[in-house]
Amino acid sequence: MENFLNQMAELLEVDSVNPQDEIISFDAWDSLTSLSIIAMADDEYSVNISAQEILNAKTIIGLYQFIQSKK
Amino acid sequence: MNFHFTNKKISGILTILPGNEVTFEDEMGNYNFSEAKSLKLKAAMGFNKKRIVKPGITISDLCLYGLNYLLDHNLLQKEDIDALILVTQSPDYIMPPTSNIIQGALGLKSDMLCMDINQGCAGYIVGLMQGFMLLDQPEIKKVVLMNADVLSPKVSKRDRNSNPLIGDAASITILERSNIATSITCALKMNGQGAFALQIPAGGAKLPNSPETAEMIEDANGNYRSKDHLVMKGDEVFNFVQTEVPPLIHEVFKLANITKEEIDYFMFHQPNRFMLQKLADKIGVSRDKMPSNIVENFGNSSSVTIPLAITFNIGNEIENKHYKLCLSGFGVGLTWSAMVLDIGPLEFCKQIDY
Repeated sequence: MENFLNQMAELLEVDSVNPQDEIISFDAWDSLTSLSIIAMADDEYSVNISAQEILNAKTIIGLYQFIQSKK
Repeated sequence: MNFHFTNKKISGILTILPGNEVTFEDEMGNYNFSEAKSLKLKAAMGFNKKRIVKPGITISDLCLYGLNYLLDHNLLQKEDIDALILVTQSPDYIMPPTSNIIQGALGLKSDMLCMDINQGCAGYIVGLMQGFMLLDQPEIKKVVLMNADVLSPKVSKRDRNSNPLIGDAASITILERSNIATSITCALKMNGQGAFALQIPAGGAKLPNSPETAEMIEDANGNYRSKDHLVMKGDEVFNFVQTEVPPLIHEVFKLANITKEEIDYFMFHQPNRFMLQKLADKIGVSRDKMPSNIVENFGNSSSVTIPLAITFNIGNEIENKHYKLCLSGFGVGLTWSAMVLDIGPLEFCKQIDY
């Protein structure tokens, strides 16, 4: 989880993120961030996720749990 | 599905690029995003310059320009052309085939075969396969494979998903039988259940162009396009490529009975730098063995990107040297393909501007 929070903070271009933060609320959020998250899920967790699934997950913790459920 | 060809070769490659160059910054103002966000996208994807035709120029113009260049420079003789294969998704007309139009314009002999193939990003390998198969016919000694796409008019200028990367180009590849024994190994797969991941929705029989299909609509990411425009589900395509292509590459190595260390270059289709670098890492080859510099210099020109990667990166060397290449094309269809072949010294390997 710690590692995931750091990865998300880097992709969202902030120093740190909280598990309850809404993913699309960050200034850096756009379709490139979405693709970068998809690539990170593939690289780090060997999981394929879609852009819609990121939106459905809503929060950082929601996305973390979704990725874990697909592993 | 695997294919194997013996005693065939590529003897020359010419790519034809529109002289008209457009930069990412030229078009950045069209997008519904801040400049900072667009520049971030540019850096990540490797967008910079691209070549697109002036209005009215079509694939037959690019192909004829290239063929006349070869004829004028004695690199090809009209009477030697036994088959003209054209791989494109942007034909001049729905009917007749554009390859017949080109045959007529050049005044080629009637004792020959013209064939259009509808294929995109994997179209270089599909075209090579078709050409090598034709060379098994005793009367076919020389095949001219043309790959050409002018898709820039089909992309919305306000679509940051597709417009920055699209480029127009054509290539001509000469295929012949080889006097020395050669072995070419190819693996290809298709999945039509993913057929709509890359699409132009309107303009065919299912949905003819109309004022309704021309209506510009904003998508969830802030891009504007109509049903007349090319649309790409970037996430699906990314996952498809990263999941399906690496195992296919390992499969073709196994079939060819070689290791990846024996490959001099991995000349892959060029969707964008981001995807290619991820692919290189996943296959386990160094990024400098897999050139990813075509989109930043010329744009993604569909099935022309593989020959363009060859002419741009090793065009001079390959006229005097021999290489072992691994080619791979993936995209529209969905189609994914890989080929291992020995190539060079080529009679010519050049690129020219239209």
